[in-house]
Amino acid sequence: MIPLVRFKLAAYARSHRLLQPMIGLVAMLIIFYSSTVPPGKELPSYGDSAGLLIIVFAWAARGLLDTEPPTQRLISMTAAGRPSREIVGGLLAALVVNVGMAAFAVALPLVIGFSAFPGPGDLALGIALHLLGLSVGTALGALSSMPIVLSPGTSMIALFGGYLAMLLLSLTPFGGFLVPIMPWMRAANTGTLGAVLPQIAAATLLWTAVGMAAYLRLRRNRP
Amino acid sequence: MGWKRVITVVLPAMRLSKVSFRYSRRGPWVLRDVELAIRPGSVVEVTGRNGAGKSTLLRLLAGIVPPSKGSISERPRVVGYAPDVFPVDQPFTVTAYLTHMARIRGVSPGAMERLAERLDAAHLLEQPLGDLSKGSAQKIGLIQSLLAPPGLLILDEPFAGLDAHTRTELPVIIGEVAAAGGIVVVSDHQNQLENFPGADHWLVAGGTVAVEAGERLRQAVIEVLVDAEHADEVEQKLRADGYTTRRTA
Repeated sequence: MIPLVRFKLAAYARSHRLLQPMIGLVAMLIIFYSSTVPPGKELPSYGDSAGLLIIVFAWAARGLLDTEPPTQRLISMTAAGRPSREIVGGLLAALVVNVGMAAFAVALPLVIGFSAFPGPGDLALGIALHLLGLSVGTALGALSSMPIVLSPGTSMIALFGGYLAMLLLSLTPFGGFLVPIMPWMRAANTGTLGAVLPQIAAATLLWTAVGMAAYLRLRRNRP
Repeated sequence: MGWKRVITVVLPAMRLSKVSFRYSRRGPWVLRDVELAIRPGSVVEVTGRNGAGKSTLLRLLAGIVPPSKGSISERPRVVGYAPDVFPVDQPFTVTAYLTHMARIRGVSPGAMERLAERLDAAHLLEQPLGDLSKGSAQKIGLIQSLLAPPGLLILDEPFAGLDAHTRTELPVIIGEVAAAGGIVVVSDHQNQLENFPGADHWLVAGGTVAVEAGERLRQAVIEVLVDAEHADEVEQKLRADGYTTRRTA
């Protein structure tokens, strides 16, 4: 599995497709941290960053999964011994890229952005929220990638529409049971995140798992 | 004088049982109730009109897509697959690409050079994939499918665009894979394998596969060691007797 993930990462890095979501990531971080965050306000910043960067994580995952020509996926499936290995390998490579992007998003404000270093508890919560954001973003990116959505135009609509729908639905009273982006931003603002994190993590990971399972199922007939 | 013990291992035939396939739940059936058994060591030539379902059949055999109904059993573990059009739109040199493919298969990339030599592709190894001509790209597709000795080798239109040397070498390689107990399935527009000894012929049409079994001439590869100065003479004699010969260095 590791050689397959490395092949996909090498193809992605050399294709320069990484540049698009990286520009998106840097642009958003510049907006987030254009004015210095006062002491004690680090967690609300991390909450917003994790929730808004989902679209960047999804974009990166979609780009990675679309890098290979369709026929190369067929070759990789036979080389890896089983189609499921190729499909899971793609998701793992996308997760690796997104872990790198999330690490950058967490680390950057520590250098420029925060006026004081956050406490270890807030830092841990910030990392946890980014992990949730990248997992749901990866699932969204996979579901809007070309093997699933055949036309590039529809794929972009699925990506941005999917994110917008997630964001808007999380504003409704049922938001806590969907992907709770707004609830986690609010909790990070009001200082209640520590208490509600298990519930938020459970809901986010459940929907991530549903998205990934749907992707794996759909890919069976869409090699 | 010593005795040689000969152990024969009987491998089970790969079997397609009532296999039907369609790409989506409401889509049209591409193949319906296909029943096939393929013995180890078989060479199969698949023909049929464009859009008859040849490529779909090959993908089912390779295990790339599962049957919508029915089952496929006893597929050999190592499958080599060469697509009809090799995807050159990838940011690697030939060597880097084949090294990645060998590592994914868990085999040493060493086989790459030997295969490149045989298919007259050694001069391509340092080229970027994007610079390859159609025939050269086809060779790289063939090499990657052979990096690990395949139990099942699937070649989709492999002769298209190949030069004369490779066109004559490929049937020899196919024969070797079969002689080692592998199954070779070749979709072939140009009927290059029409006269391949012992090959079965499948005709894909109307969602079914019609089988025409070839004469089962068994083939074996023997190596004959001769003094270098007699090599030409021996080779000419063997060729005059109707055998296919090949020099190994």
